[in-house]
Amino acid sequence: MPRVHLRFFASLRERLGPGEERAVTSGTTAGALWESLVGSHPAIDRVRVRIAVNERYVEPGHELAEGDEVAFFPPVSGG
Amino acid sequence: MAELFEITESAIDPARLLAAVGDPAAGASVLFLGTTRNENAGRRVTRLEYEAFASMAVREMRQLARQGRRRWPLRRVAMAHRTGIVPIGDASVGIAVSAPHRAEAFEACHWLIDRLKEIVPIWKKEHFRGGTVWIGAQQGGPEPPRQRRRAGVR
Repeated sequence: MPRVHLRFFASLRERLGPGEERAVTSGTTAGALWESLVGSHPAIDRVRVRIAVNERYVEPGHELAEGDEVAFFPPVSGG
Repeated sequence: MAELFEITESAIDPARLLAAVGDPAAGASVLFLGTTRNENAGRRVTRLEYEAFASMAVREMRQLARQGRRRWPLRRVAMAHRTGIVPIGDASVGIAVSAPHRAEAFEACHWLIDRLKEIVPIWKKEHFRGGTVWIGAQQGGPEPPRQRRRAGVR
């Protein structure tokens, strides 16, 4: 079971905290991990989430690997 | 002059950005400053607060600068974004671009701030009388980055 490090930002950080370690089953995708978070925290369902693995944007189908840092955040609004 | 791409809690220093793009082959330097405004969507804004995924934000800024250099014959690019509370009227973001001629410096600087607002992981929280709101999360932010052939490659 790969272990990954989750990080949350902005509105997601306020709801879920800064992050956590989590063991996932092999082959788990970034999108599936997000769905499992939504399952335990229904309030985040409306967030149009962006996902970055190891500081690079990924699509939901991206498979997670041991040691990955998986960041979840809402649409960016810098500037 | 060392290159300058940073997320900082300190005030943005325009002179430092311009110095970072100084280049003897440049005939033009363009500086953009984004400053915090006291009104948004009909709300009286009292202050703005920014949060960043700092390491990824700097990585994305460098990537944008590389892409800009491929599109225009630029000499140097510098980008800084402030985090934490930014008082009204202060700069939250600064971008400087130097190029041999002004046209490409203006165009590239405009493109860079547009792209920064679309993809660099920074979030703005608006404080107004009676509450706060994260901008982007509730109001329809920019579209997600385009599909990539492979994860992590753009």
